[in-house]
Amino acid sequence: MFFPVTQVGSWPRSAKLLAALREKRSGRLAYDDFEAIAKEEIRRCVDLQLQAGVDYVVDGELRRDNFYSFITDKVEGTRLMSLAEMLDTVEDKAAFEEMLQTLDAPAFAIRNPTCVGKLQRRKPLAVDDLKFLRSLTDRPVKVTLPGPYLLTRAMWVTAYSVDAYGDKPVMADDIIAILREELAELVAENAEFVQFDEPVLTEVVHSGEDKRRTFM
Amino acid sequence: MNRVVEGFEDQLRIGLHVCRGNWSKREDVLISGDYRPLVDCFSKMNVQQLVLEYATPRAGDLAVIGRKLSNREIGLGVCNPRTEQPESVDFIADRLRQALSYWTPEKIFLNPDCGFGCFANRCVNEESVAFEKLNAMVAAAKRIRAECGV
Repeated sequence: MFFPVTQVGSWPRSAKLLAALREKRSGRLAYDDFEAIAKEEIRRCVDLQLQAGVDYVVDGELRRDNFYSFITDKVEGTRLMSLAEMLDTVEDKAAFEEMLQTLDAPAFAIRNPTCVGKLQRRKPLAVDDLKFLRSLTDRPVKVTLPGPYLLTRAMWVTAYSVDAYGDKPVMADDIIAILREELAELVAENAEFVQFDEPVLTEVVHSGEDKRRTFM
Repeated sequence: MNRVVEGFEDQLRIGLHVCRGNWSKREDVLISGDYRPLVDCFSKMNVQQLVLEYATPRAGDLAVIGRKLSNREIGLGVCNPRTEQPESVDFIADRLRQALSYWTPEKIFLNPDCGFGCFANRCVNEESVAFEKLNAMVAAAKRIRAECGV
């Protein structure tokens, strides 16, 4: 069929899910209890897509804190840090704060997956999401993953990452290996469509003369 | 990216999504500029589909990618995920007609410009609006299929 309709990936979180994500982060909600809530929310998200007549269905990334920070749940050697926490490691604090204000990026609401040790894939990044989504629909589905460039840029915070890797490109090799492992398993599960997110590429070419970076 | 996908290209559809930020509803703080500086980078990447923003003027002209990379599939961004008003079916259908002057029908997918909630604590929209936007895309796809007899 021509012009199949799909989404880029994420769906608005309900108040209930936001509360569950918060409780999970603070360790007050058990894994199974969080899963039960997340599955119920994903079911509604999928129902709405089917009702609308979408051709390639997504799970709304509803289990994820954000589209790249979620890997801290899956990969060893990472720590989920709010931008406010990262401020401690930034040399020019005033400039970083100004950047967040200028960009209208709330320092406590946006979290980064900082590399704090040797990276190792502890759990699949998206294979379980794919399996659950498959159980809800016979339609083809799209799986979303953060791209290797975004992850390398975001995860490297010198103060935390330098001990494990010495240099950013060395860490990037491990990120590539983790993404390849994931792709191999997604292929084995007959995934039809995997999308890598690389939003930072536009920033690299359009960040203006001062080359000021965003928070990603 | 090529190192990640090497050897997998024929086994599934691999897409690349590039946008200009989706953390704020304020258009003035998000990045602006067309895809021209990225054309060479995209053409070297072994991805089957480019999932790009085309619902906001900040993303520039469709021709920039359409002239150079019509051999790839396009995930055509036709809805702004940050606005409260759903795009009209006319608007989306027009965008799709424009895309058809560069891409053959089998190469065009329809999607919003970005996710409706990339950052859990900073979702850029409400579920009911997102649902309306999905409906508008489905209706536009149906209309153009009928128009093209495909």
